[in-house]
Amino acid sequence: MTDALSEVLTYIGVVVVGILVWAALSPFEVLSWWAGWFGDAIYGETIPTTTPNADSPPAASARAESPRPQAYIVFLSGVARVSGESFSYREQDFLRRLAVALPTAVIINDIFPYSVNNLPLTGQPFFARLWRFALRSKLSGPGLAGYLINLRNIWQVMISADKRYGPIFNQAVADVILHTLLRHGYALDQPTPIFVIGYSGAGQVSVGATMYLKEVLHAPVYVVSLGGVFASDPGVMAADRVFHIYGTRDRVHKSGLFAPGRWSIFPGSAWNRAKREGRVEMINVGPLGHTGAGGYLDAKRHLPNGIAFVDATVACIRKLVETQLALHTPE
Amino acid sequence: MDSQLLPTIGETINRVMRLDRTIFLDYMDAPHGLWLALVLVTLAGASKALGQSVILFINRVRPLRFALALIIGVIQYVGGFLVWTTSLWLVGTYGFETSATWSMMAIAVGVAYAPQTLAFFELTPFFGNGFGFLLSLWSLLAIVMGVQIGLGLTLGQAVLASGLGWLLLQIWVRTLGRPFYALGRWIETRIVDAPHSYTWRDLPTLRRRSAIQSPAIPRPAVSPARAPGPAVPHGEPSADD
Repeated sequence: MTDALSEVLTYIGVVVVGILVWAALSPFEVLSWWAGWFGDAIYGETIPTTTPNADSPPAASARAESPRPQAYIVFLSGVARVSGESFSYREQDFLRRLAVALPTAVIINDIFPYSVNNLPLTGQPFFARLWRFALRSKLSGPGLAGYLINLRNIWQVMISADKRYGPIFNQAVADVILHTLLRHGYALDQPTPIFVIGYSGAGQVSVGATMYLKEVLHAPVYVVSLGGVFASDPGVMAADRVFHIYGTRDRVHKSGLFAPGRWSIFPGSAWNRAKREGRVEMINVGPLGHTGAGGYLDAKRHLPNGIAFVDATVACIRKLVETQLALHTPE
Repeated sequence: MDSQLLPTIGETINRVMRLDRTIFLDYMDAPHGLWLALVLVTLAGASKALGQSVILFINRVRPLRFALALIIGVIQYVGGFLVWTTSLWLVGTYGFETSATWSMMAIAVGVAYAPQTLAFFELTPFFGNGFGFLLSLWSLLAIVMGVQIGLGLTLGQAVLASGLGWLLLQIWVRTLGRPFYALGRWIETRIVDAPHSYTWRDLPTLRRRSAIQSPAIPRPAVSPARAPGPAVPHGEPSADD
């Protein structure tokens, strides 16, 4: 009995050490990109040409009806993704509803926010097979291999929040976002507002990239953290505003509080300064959870007033977008 | 003690981290203890060099030169260990009149370097810096214990000897050792061959190639304040300007 227990503990120990070594070596991807070991290419999907409606099939991204879009909404997905393509039907449904709610905005959803060059994990030069296996495992139901994707992307979130790697990773993602905006017809000489929605771990990535987007773009950049996990990144001071949408049943978004800069005892941190300057708005969207059934994107559960969770989320984003656009539009 | 019975590296790290005195004695009694201690120091050096390799990436060092720079880093680390051991041994021999041999001192100090074999975990995003700080603190305690055992001193004497040894090391670095360190830096610079030598302080101002400079994308009407091309400080004039 003791031997068996010892053996199990040894296996667990080996797995834990393996995960720690993996975490320690994870920055090499972004560092080698910075050093130019893998070239400068930014990978992109094709741009959709159709305008969505309530019955249209889920699309990667959506073009606005208007030839002059009033806003660009960049959706950065949570840590479960392997590429710019969304395999989550809830996510697709949410974006379709958002596109219908904001018909004058371009909704962009073909960015893989956990890569320095938008390269899908399944297209990586060395480990593509592993990621394809993990993706198959994830798509066929909850499987241990599927969580490898989440774990790998969590390392990227930590890289984005790290003071050593963040300045490198975040400007890479900002470049990917910029490149994608341009592919979707964003006019650099027009100050069209940009809303970067960072869902879950992408909250940090969106905040981190915003600082570098603001250096290039002469337009307002708003961060919409949807249950976002983020540290006290300098990007919160660079963003025109940060909206943190959270549900009372979401515990994951609180993991951002691991970052000391989010603690009130550090009044000089970027987060606390942004809060004092009124750049941050915390929006309680109701008794919503983080993901899955009961999460922000759930269309089957309803609030006491009869509104589906996903519609409550969409309504919240629509309201804040419209409010900012109204402020932005000259009289 | 037979070297076959020496603990594995994992166990050595574990016992040194627990500040277990017997691990030092096990190595000091082993017939090839000095070489084994040197292996530990070399591994610690490799781990430390890897842990501090971020600065090489920031300077956009090419892969082959990156590998060479790591090897140079390991050699410098082992060299540093030898100098540090010698200064501690001199302090022990002439300051505290101990009869410890240089090799005994080297084994004790070398074993104390064992925690540094974990130094590459400093790379861990977000938590790496904190881990590095704790590891350094633990290594310091292990070295004091190594000095205590290697020279046969009391704890207070070992702390004093470590301090004096450090002082002696600083004098060496700034006087007779100066040409050696200059030579080391020269070799390192030649091998790395980076066009710039950026430090951590430069990181927030460094910018890599922007998508906006991509030939496939027309340049904007507004001129962004970003320099094109690889890793240049933000706002620094470039050949295109």
